[in-house]
This record gives sequence, structure tokens and C-alpha cells, in this order.
Amino acid sequence: MLVLLLVLVPIIAGLVMLMLRGENPIAAKATGAIVSAGTFVGALLVWTGGSEFSFRWLSRPFESAFHFGATGISIWLVLLLTVCTFCAVLATNMPRTREFVAQLLLLEGTMLGLFLARDLLVFALFWDLMLLPVFFVLMGWGQHHATAWRYFLYNFAGGLTLLLATAAFGVLFGSTDVIGREGVHVIGSWAPWIFAGFAFAFFVKTPVWPLHTWMPLTYADTPAPMVAVVSAVQSKAGLYGLIVIGMAFMPDYLRAATTLFIVLGVISLLYGAFTALVQTDAKRVVAYSSLSHLGLIVIAIVSFNPIALQGAVIYIVAHGLFSAALFLVLGYVESREETRSLTRLGGLGAKNPRLAGALCIATLAALGLPGLAGFVGEIIILTGVFQVGWTWVVILALIPIVLASAYMIRLYQGIMNGPEIADLPVRADLSWIEGIALAPLVLALVLIGVNPHALTTFDPTLYSVAAPAAQGTGR
Amino acid sequence: MTISFTSADWASVAPLTIVAVTALVVLLADLLAPKNANRYVAIGIALVGLVVAAAVCGRAYFGHDYAAFGGAFIVGGFSVVFEEIILICAFGSILLYGTTGEKDRIPGAVALLLWSTCGAMLMAGAGSLMTIFLGLELLSLALYCLCGLADRRTAREAALKYLILSSTASGFLLFGMALLFGASGSVALADLVSPALVSNPLLWLGAGMFLIGIAFKLSLVPFHTWSPDVYEGAPLPVTAFMSVATKAATLAVFARFIYAALPPGVDRRLLLPVWIIAAISMIAGNVGMLAQRDLKRLIAYSGIAQVGYILTALAGGTPLGLRYAIYYIAAYTFMNLGAFAVASLLSDDAEQGSTLANYRGLGHRRPIVAALMTFFLLAMAGLPPTAGFLGKILILSTSVDTGYAWLGVVLIVGTAISLYAYAKVIFAMYTPEGHGHTHDVRPFAPLAWISAVACFVLVLLMTFYPLTPSNVLPLVR
Repeated sequence: MLVLLLVLVPIIAGLVMLMLRGENPIAAKATGAIVSAGTFVGALLVWTGGSEFSFRWLSRPFESAFHFGATGISIWLVLLLTVCTFCAVLATNMPRTREFVAQLLLLEGTMLGLFLARDLLVFALFWDLMLLPVFFVLMGWGQHHATAWRYFLYNFAGGLTLLLATAAFGVLFGSTDVIGREGVHVIGSWAPWIFAGFAFAFFVKTPVWPLHTWMPLTYADTPAPMVAVVSAVQSKAGLYGLIVIGMAFMPDYLRAATTLFIVLGVISLLYGAFTALVQTDAKRVVAYSSLSHLGLIVIAIVSFNPIALQGAVIYIVAHGLFSAALFLVLGYVESREETRSLTRLGGLGAKNPRLAGALCIATLAALGLPGLAGFVGEIIILTGVFQVGWTWVVILALIPIVLASAYMIRLYQGIMNGPEIADLPVRADLSWIEGIALAPLVLALVLIGVNPHALTTFDPTLYSVAAPAAQGTGR
Repeated sequence: MTISFTSADWASVAPLTIVAVTALVVLLADLLAPKNANRYVAIGIALVGLVVAAAVCGRAYFGHDYAAFGGAFIVGGFSVVFEEIILICAFGSILLYGTTGEKDRIPGAVALLLWSTCGAMLMAGAGSLMTIFLGLELLSLALYCLCGLADRRTAREAALKYLILSSTASGFLLFGMALLFGASGSVALADLVSPALVSNPLLWLGAGMFLIGIAFKLSLVPFHTWSPDVYEGAPLPVTAFMSVATKAATLAVFARFIYAALPPGVDRRLLLPVWIIAAISMIAGNVGMLAQRDLKRLIAYSGIAQVGYILTALAGGTPLGLRYAIYYIAAYTFMNLGAFAVASLLSDDAEQGSTLANYRGLGHRRPIVAALMTFFLLAMAGLPPTAGFLGKILILSTSVDTGYAWLGVVLIVGTAISLYAYAKVIFAMYTPEGHGHTHDVRPFAPLAWISAVACFVLVLLMTFYPLTPSNVLPLVR
């Protein structure tokens, strides 16, 4: 029951807030903060106590249920999501605050539904729903409508192939109530197509080169609080799906496509890193760095190595934390200086020491400084991939890790160091509430960096998958 | 030869009789009731009549299937479900008559709508070629008048267009029927199911002509061009009725024809062109929607595509496919009626009310109306959490199951295209309005509100409780 509340409360709160009239930014932010803090507490309770809810939906043509519950891996994403939403609500400083906070809550609720879904059809349902809040925010607050359409049509195309694949899966297997269940294997002449449908949706969402073209625009145009949540958590939906659906139910096809996925992952890694190096828009630097980092996680997943998988889970959470922190800080910078162009910015550090400190921690986590969460994830992934014997992949993956230092330091220097620029507006340094918005993220980055052990315990179903290939190939 | 009918024969058409008699009473009431109240008197009587008819009709669902009037009218789960859908549609459309503008309030309109309903119900149970044609003509003749009754140029244009094109379609249908009669020597659908007819060219030609006539009535591409113009010109309640009841009745005839009236071995080859034009309709309907500036035209194009989705469910010829088709038709009924109810809330002048420019900024002026409209548009687009989403899932699963996955893929592509069109309307509602006047005058329209909210609840409920009737296999004897 608790899991159901976790999904419904933010959605209902968001819808009610959308329908109200009037404008009271403080009340809106307070409501949003209370609701998202409540979901965080709820997520903690689910983590410690567990909770499940199931309600029969379909019995024909396949069994399906509104089945919610946390699995070993999704609970981390749920915790990450609730923390990020809380921070994003606190960091909101937008015109039409009430509507914006409402959209943030809707995004949180739909994504909680996605990660808590134990049924593929419910998963597909929330997959489509979670696109709407981002679309509306891009339309209402973004600069170019074309960006919103591109985001929406790209991702919805993915959502539709997911839907078709889900329907086919249901018909073949007889049930879609399968996420987190053991011994589910889809075989038959249809199975490769089903796998392809899922994989396409996941790779658009992640994104992976060459399906990434919607991403830099979307990340640059979406207001900072929302893009923090989108980049931190929504982009992980694809990776999460790849693990709990692709890997768990169709390991043979994932193995068969390994070479392709490694190539795509390595290209994403390198292409993202090199492109990040030359961007002048600060948010685009982070967007391309995301492409690069997530490519590494794709490689970790397709390696089918338990160590690399553990690294992937840690890195998923770590990337969520530092990319949320980066985008929030860049949002602070943009709202103060009214630009995010690296050629225009500079020398802010002298007058804004707290802002500089915040950006410093976020960039250091992103470039993989030992002691912070990003480093742990990277090193474990590389160890695992090396263990599989993909030496060349590890060597190629080291290049973007070095480049990460370069573009992250370039980002920091471009904004904070150098001579002060006379015609930039001078605004107050970080306020205490903006600081509080960052505190949970930084705290978590340090905690995981020092003691990542908690995150390495996850589902036994994933281990069984990581064991030698299950019987049966495509007939 | 003397033909005698038993009481069971008369009982089989009791719902139709009730509707037809109600129409007569409504006509009298229009004459007798005081001028200022007559609209509500007529509507009230009509609604009561429809409810009684629905109750009488519903009882037959639990009984045995039987053929009445020597096989001309067949009572069974199949006909009952379609008749109920048609009755619900008539109910929703007549509710909208409570809110239409002065120009559309013509005495006799409600009675005509009831007769049209009667014709549609006759088609749902038709077991012979004669009854199919009788029902179709009763349905269409009343609709020609309804389209043309309003005192507007566009309405007259719509009526004329509808009359000419629909008569052409009827010509095809009738010629096809004549050829089928020539092949089998009987007007009963039951007599077509004979292996001896498989090699008879008359059957192939006749069935082909028959299906062309059906495709016309379903406004499938390339026979679709009449529907946007007619929908645009007709008064709002009539458009609401046409967009659902005509399609439901014609689909009932189509389903009965392909499920029960074709000789074994004919169906796959004969029907392939139908599935191909269904696929084309899914794409063309959704593409056509992109350029529309009027809600009624938008819904017309959307309807072209939605019929394609329903045919996808029927393509496999399985009982389960038919159940999902019925589920989708029911969902489509509620979302369309809901959208029209919301449209009627916005303006009392039918010509102004449905232009999309009117919806600009609606989210700020009237958030709840805008939220309802958004919901219905999302349902048509097939987004969760609506019955449209689940309907598409069910159709996709049956298309995969029966080997028509290519239709499923076309459905997916069509949905992707349609999304742009629906999202454009939704987005317009949530953009602050620019300059220019907006037509937003309805103070309070209880009937339309009831209709919109009821449709909202039903579309939502159907998502979570996807009941599909099990006793719906169409029979011919």
C-alpha cells in the first residue's frame, strides 16, 4: 500500500496544484518540498520495511496487474529520485512557480511509478507518462518549441516500440507481471524483435550515440531544476530497463548484440567527451559529459560481469547525484548572470565564494576524484570489464576519463576563475536555501565515495543472469 | 404462402420499437409543449425512451441467441452489445441538444435522431441483406435531414455532400447485395456460407462491392473525403452521433459479414485489400489531422484512423479480436462523446465553437474544462492512463497473436504521427492567449457537464476494469 501512495501522492498533489489559481511562490515551494520530503521518507520506509501492492488489471490476452514494489536495484533509483526532486524544488526560482513545482511533482510521481512497477505494462504506461511533464515545461519555459517537439517525438517513438514489444512479450509469455521475477525467458522467432523494441526505447532514453541528438538541446533548454531531475534520474530509466528487462529476460539476445552495444557505448564515451571539450554553453558541456558517462554504464551492463554490474549501479547513483548538483549550480549561475556562455562568463569566484565552492565540489565529483562517488563507480566498472578480458575497451574508456578532468576543469575555470568581467551583473552569493538544496546531494556523494558497500547488495535475480547463459536460443 | 410471426419475433425488435415510438411521442411533444419549455420536454422524453430501450435490450444479452423474422434479425450478445453502444451514443448526443445554439434548435431534430438510432440498431442485428439495407437507409435518411436542418450555409453544404456521397456508397452496397443474391439465391447472410460458392465469381464481385460500400460508410481512405466536410457543417450533437453511431453500426455489419457470412477459404484472400486500406487509413487519417484548424474536422480525421485501429483488431478473425474491437469501439464512443460535450461547453454558436483558435489559453480561463479536453485528446492519442491506451495494447497484442503484426506496426507509426496533432491542441490550450477575441460565453450548461464528466469517469474506469463482453460471437442463424 505504501508503494502505491508513493506513486499517487506526488501525482495527485501535482494535478491539484496545476488546477489551482493564483500565484504564491513560497507556498508552492513549501508544498512541493513537503510532498517530496514525504516521498523520501516513504522511500526510506520501503527500503527498510519493504512494501508491495498488486491489483489485477488484465487476464486476457495476457495477465497483467498494477503491481508495485521495490526491487534491489530500483530502490536506489527511487531514493535518488526523491532526493533529487526535493533539491530541485528547493532550488526552483522560476516565473510561474506554482505550475513549475506542480510539473516537478508530476515528473516525480510518474517516474516513481516507472521504477516501482513490477509489471511490464505498467512500466510502459509510466514510460509514456513521464515524458509529459518535461514536454510541458519545455513548451512553457524553454526557449524553442522545436526542442520540446524533438524531445517528445524522439522519446515517444521509443515509448511506442516499447509498447509494441510489451504487447508481444505478453502474448508470448502469457503474463507481463514479471519484473524482478526469476526464470522468465522469452524465446521464439519473435523474441529478437521484442528485444530490439525494448533496446531501441532504452537507448533513445539513455541516450546512446547515434540516438542522442535530442539530448543536448533538451538539457540546454530545460530550466535547471527540471533538467537536474531529468539528467539525474530520467536518463537512468533506459539503463534500469536494460538491466531488469533486457538482461533478466532476454540475456541471449543481449549477448548476441554485445559487440554492437560495446561499439555504440565506446563511441558515446569518446564522442561525448570530445564534444564536451569544445562546447561554449555550460549546460551543453554537462549534457555531453552525460552522454560520455552513460556510455560507460552501457558497456558495464553488457559485460555481464557481476563486478562491473555493481559498478554500474554505483555509477548510476553517483552520476545522478553529481549531474543533478552540476545542473543546479549552473542554474544558479545562469539566474544570476543571465547567461551560461563560457565565453561570456568568468571571474565569478572572487565575489561568490560559496557559489564557487558548490561548483567545485560538483565538478570534482564529475571528473572522478577519489573519495567521491564517481570515482568508486568508474574504478569498479573498469575492474569488472577488465576481468572479462576486454582490455582494449578498458584502454579506450580511460581516454574519456582523462578528458573528463579537462572539460570539467575548463568548465569551472571558465565560470569562476580569470579576471572579473566588468559588464556581468553583480548579484548576491548563494543564499542559505540554495545551499540547503545542494547539501543532500553533496552529502550523498561523499558518503557513497567513502563507503559504497551498501549499494553493492542487490537482487539475486541479476546474479543468476550474470551466471552462464540460460538455455534456449531463438528457435 | 403465409408468413406468421411469433411473439419472440416481436420481442426481438422491442428495443427498436420503443425507440421509434418514443420518436413519435417526441414529435407530438414538440407540437404540444409550450414554446419556451419544449426543448427540455423533448429531450426528457427521448432520454427516458432510450433508457427503457436500453433496459429491454440488455435483458437479451443473457438469453440464447435466436434468429427472428426468418433470419432477418438476429438477437444475441453481439447485437445487444452494439445496440447498447448505439443507445449510449444517442443518449450522449441528445444531452448535447440541451446546449446547442438557437440556430440548431429545430423542432423534430430529436425525433429524427431517434429514428436514426433505430436504423443503426437494426443494422446491429441485421441477419439478411435486406435488413442491412433497411437499417442503413433509415440511419442515413434521418442524418441527411439532421445535417441540413440548421439554418447555415455550411450545414446545407454538409447535407448535400453527405446525401450525394452516401447515396453513391449505398449504390455500391446495393449492387454488391444484388450480386450476392445472384450468387446464393437468397438474401439471408446464412446462405452465403456455402463451400459451393467459393468458386463463384459473382460472390467475389458482390462481396467486393459490398465491402466498398462499407468502406465508404466507415470513411476509410480513399473513400474518406466526405467525412471532414460533413462533420464540420453538421450541428454539434449530430456530428457527435454520426462520428460514433454510424461507425459502430457499420462495424457491426462488417464484423458479422466477415466473421459469419463468408464461405470458408474466401476470407483471407478477399479481405486483404480491406486490411491494406485500413493500414492506409491509419496513416492518412493521422497525417490529415496535422493540418486541421477545427475540432470537428480534427475528430473526423482522427475517426478515419481509429476505424483503422478497430479493423486491425478484427483482422485476425478471432473471437478475442472481436472482443477487443468492441472494447475499443466503446472506449472510442466515450472519448468522442466526451470531447464533443466539452466542445459544446465552450460556445453556443456551432460555427464558432469548434475552431481550434477558440481553445487558445483555455487552460488559464477554465482549467477544469481544459483538463477534461486534455484527457479526452490523450485518450484518442492512446496515452495512459486512458482506455485508449489499453485498447491499443489489446489490439497490438491480438495483431501479434494472429499474424497481422504488420498492421500493429502501422498502428504504432500512425499513433506517433497523431500525437503531434493532439499535442498541438493540448499545447494551445495551455499557452496564454494572445490578442484577438475569444468566444467563451456559455455560463452554465448542466447537461453537457454531466455528459463530459460521465464520459471522463467511464474512460478512466474502462482503463482499470477492462471488461470485455464474452458472449459476442456474431451468428447468422
